[in-house]
Amino acid sequence: MEFLSYFGGVFEPIAFMLLLGGTIGGLILGATPGLSPTMAVALLIPFTFQLSPTQGLILLGAAYTSTVAGGAVSAILLKIPGAPANIATALDGHEMAKNGEGARALHLSFMSSGIGGITGVLLLIFLTPVLAQWALAFGPSHLFWLAILGVTVIGSLDSKSFVKGLLSGCIGLWLSMIGYDDIQGAQRFIFHDALTGGIHIIAALIGIFAIPQVLDMFAKGRRKVAIETVEVPEHAIGDSVREVARSARPLTIGTVIGSIVGLIPGIGGQIAGLVAYDQSKKFSPNKAKFGTGHPEGLIAAESANNAMVGPSLVPLLTLSIPGSPTAAVLLGGLLIHGIFPGSDIFERNPEVIWTFINSMLIGQILMVIFGIAIAKWAAKIARAPLPIMASAVLVLSLFGSYSVQQSMGDVWIMLSLGLGMYFLEKFGFSAAPVVLGLILGPIAESNFVQGSMIAGAMYDGVWAKATYFMTGSLNIGLIVLVILSVGYSFMSHRANSKSPASDAGARA
Amino acid sequence: MKTMLKTLGLSLAAATMALAIPASAEDYPSRPIGVAVSYGAGGATDFQARIVTMVAGNEDMLGQPMYILNKPGAGGRVGWNWFAEEAEADGYMLSAYNVPHFIAQSIKGGVKYSADSFEPIANWGADPAVVVVGKDSPYDTIEEMVDFAKENPGKVTLSGAGLFVGHHIAALQIQKATGAKFVYIPTKGGGAAAMKAVIAGDVVGGINNLSDAFRAAEAGNVKILAVADLERNDFLPDVPTLKEAGYDVDNASVNFRGLMVPKGTPQDVIDVLAAKVPGMFEHARVTKRMKAGGSPLHVMNREEVQAMWAKRQETLSELLEGL
Amino acid sequence: MTASRTQHLAASSVILAVALTVGWVSFTQQPEEAFLFPRLISVFFGIFALWNFIRAVMGLSKVGEGLDGATVRAIIPGLIVMLIYIFWAAKGYGKIATLEGHWSYDWVRRGMGFYASSTLAFFTLYTLYDPAPRTELKGWAKRIIVTAIFMAIIYGLFALLLKVQTPRGMIF
Repeated sequence: MEFLSYFGGVFEPIAFMLLLGGTIGGLILGATPGLSPTMAVALLIPFTFQLSPTQGLILLGAAYTSTVAGGAVSAILLKIPGAPANIATALDGHEMAKNGEGARALHLSFMSSGIGGITGVLLLIFLTPVLAQWALAFGPSHLFWLAILGVTVIGSLDSKSFVKGLLSGCIGLWLSMIGYDDIQGAQRFIFHDALTGGIHIIAALIGIFAIPQVLDMFAKGRRKVAIETVEVPEHAIGDSVREVARSARPLTIGTVIGSIVGLIPGIGGQIAGLVAYDQSKKFSPNKAKFGTGHPEGLIAAESANNAMVGPSLVPLLTLSIPGSPTAAVLLGGLLIHGIFPGSDIFERNPEVIWTFINSMLIGQILMVIFGIAIAKWAAKIARAPLPIMASAVLVLSLFGSYSVQQSMGDVWIMLSLGLGMYFLEKFGFSAAPVVLGLILGPIAESNFVQGSMIAGAMYDGVWAKATYFMTGSLNIGLIVLVILSVGYSFMSHRANSKSPASDAGARA
Repeated sequence: MKTMLKTLGLSLAAATMALAIPASAEDYPSRPIGVAVSYGAGGATDFQARIVTMVAGNEDMLGQPMYILNKPGAGGRVGWNWFAEEAEADGYMLSAYNVPHFIAQSIKGGVKYSADSFEPIANWGADPAVVVVGKDSPYDTIEEMVDFAKENPGKVTLSGAGLFVGHHIAALQIQKATGAKFVYIPTKGGGAAAMKAVIAGDVVGGINNLSDAFRAAEAGNVKILAVADLERNDFLPDVPTLKEAGYDVDNASVNFRGLMVPKGTPQDVIDVLAAKVPGMFEHARVTKRMKAGGSPLHVMNREEVQAMWAKRQETLSELLEGL
Repeated sequence: MTASRTQHLAASSVILAVALTVGWVSFTQQPEEAFLFPRLISVFFGIFALWNFIRAVMGLSKVGEGLDGATVRAIIPGLIVMLIYIFWAAKGYGKIATLEGHWSYDWVRRGMGFYASSTLAFFTLYTLYDPAPRTELKGWAKRIIVTAIFMAIIYGLFALLLKVQTPRGMIF
């Protein structure tokens, strides 16, 4: 309970102002297409130079929590996920916004973020020593199987056809290999100069999600119906609170998955939301409603991607190993102020670290309050007339994809992937598996290559790789999960295709 | 509509004409200057670059702020390829260099740059490579590890931040000097991922940055066996250099970091930068932050860097020959 | 509604062709170590693409509504504006030899600049798809005002707040 005695530090005037500013600023930055939480936190680092270590960390911590939640705003309203963490949010959240339930979607998303986030930070407070060992248990072979497990999720994710889901995943995996190979430095599939740097995930996200949407809006043509004058219904906060309270299942799934996945260095936050979305779908009695504006998936995804924030700091604070790209930037922020992570960090710098962690708790609450405050107005954006919406999303896509690395190459990649995705979607392929393949490809590959090299040194003979990758309880457990996951999605697709409703339920 | 568009275009053109006039060298710099970093946000190069450029906007320095632009990928190749090929040589886009990384990569081939594609401005840091093992490792000295490797060729795995970066060069030099066969495991995700592999026991040992290893050792997670430099480091007075341990390994793997511009940048712009930038690196606020972060500062001017590049080019060509 | 069998057949053939190209490149390029993983993936890619193709041939491919004439006609103008906009916003890769030296070269090669091209693209697209009658002055005024407000927000966000250095084209 040591942390309770440091709550005073959070409420000192300057510290609290920074917390407020960091939260509001983080929400804005997070909601800006093309600015991932990583870049947002990196942008704030120079501001912390002028501050004391505690103040600086409060600012960065507040920004970290609120940028992740802010990404949900553009995912829901514009269907442009701000970061990989928000992909799953866009799937159902944007449908809700289009149905006029934008305010509800934003309420639910901020509340479940807050609940997931607070749970994650509490885990960080109470279980750090135990969890740190856990994070280290994952070596190359386990990370490889985890990535494969993520790939098998593809078969069932937002896809109406089993083979097309898998095929979309393969397209994503192939796209992830374009550019310089990260380990050998060899050039692969570079058929245009713009591709030498590979496909940047943020630029890809913008293209794959935003451009098909723009074209769909064009397709509605210059018709009177294109102007939709439906009033955005006010959504009472009380209703949202009650709805969240009733959604114990997706909340639990999201929080548990987010906390566990967040711990694993290198995979963490990128896939927490997608995995939680997929699992809550599998356990839900309303499977068919997913993808049509069903709040369960949204709640699971948002609770997962904020639950991962706390645990992702465990390996960072105790072992100096950043669990996510954003945590890597935070590490820089710590070092600049002379705070060296280590297992004794809580003894060496108690007031800095505890104030930092406490501020993340308070930050979560502030984020929920501000999020709900803006929801009413922000939701109107999604109801703007289609011609304005289409032009605005297009301009934002250009600026967003350019500002990732200030490169026109990224803009062209964004556009090409977007046009390609539009046609793929018209023939029953879906975007989420492509993106999942794009994210997991490099993780699977680098761990496969590293594992193979280590296997060669550890064991002799032709079975060296098999021994390394297939023995040990953690490996076997993960392999069993992979087999179960594939089997499950195959069986459920078979069951679906027998019922006549499956094709009728195809996305219109 | 046509006329409207024309009017709109013309008025916009008029309103922004002032901004579109190309800057001449006399008033350089007249707008913020970009610094491309070939590694991801949060890496050692990125975070040091953010520190050393923080006073650029001061009136007595360049008078214009510098902003960081991350172009990560393939051990730096992506960023430097872009810098050599696409960046405007007008002095408004600089890049951080890492020696020996980019020189070794250009010798190995498959990239669009060499040491001749760039003009150095100044050097801010030097981070030697060190040999580390996990805290529970049976080895307490570099000799014990090398002896084991000699008896069991190909059994000692060493993690590092990629191929043809400082860590790899150090591993190659150790291998050459000791005659033992190590297995170098390049990790994706830079020094942090390589350090994780050491702490978690995925590999027998690792080559890593002194600054990162120093912190990990302070926290009790790793043991540092040796430094790949010519003399002992102030941060680690008790750790021997590889030379002292009897292995002929010089400082070719020391990771020098600094700023450069593309070839073709006007000479007067280079002169302005070369005159101002070293002072910027030595600014009191910069040195304070660098020290706090455990990052060794090592300021060199343009001439010194040119000499260092030329020397590295020679050593590395020799080392990488026949690989 | 689903697309015609011909359309499904065409789409699955394109994907199969891509999968085969990826496989061919993966198995012929060097160095081998770097293409190990691509080979693994391309095998699965190929199998699934073939499976999908066979389903299309047998007429089992039913998911996806395909493209119809009305949709294509509605999209074309917007798509053209979009392509011109994206490729003319900033300097591109490579050189256009035939135009070098001509007065138009700078315009084509340097691009128009992010803010100018975005303003034009936003206004043009809005005008193209706005159902309000184009004879009304009110409609024009509204479109100009909306464009101005939107571009002001974009400028404030990216240029003033985030200090993104956008490419300097011919205008802005």
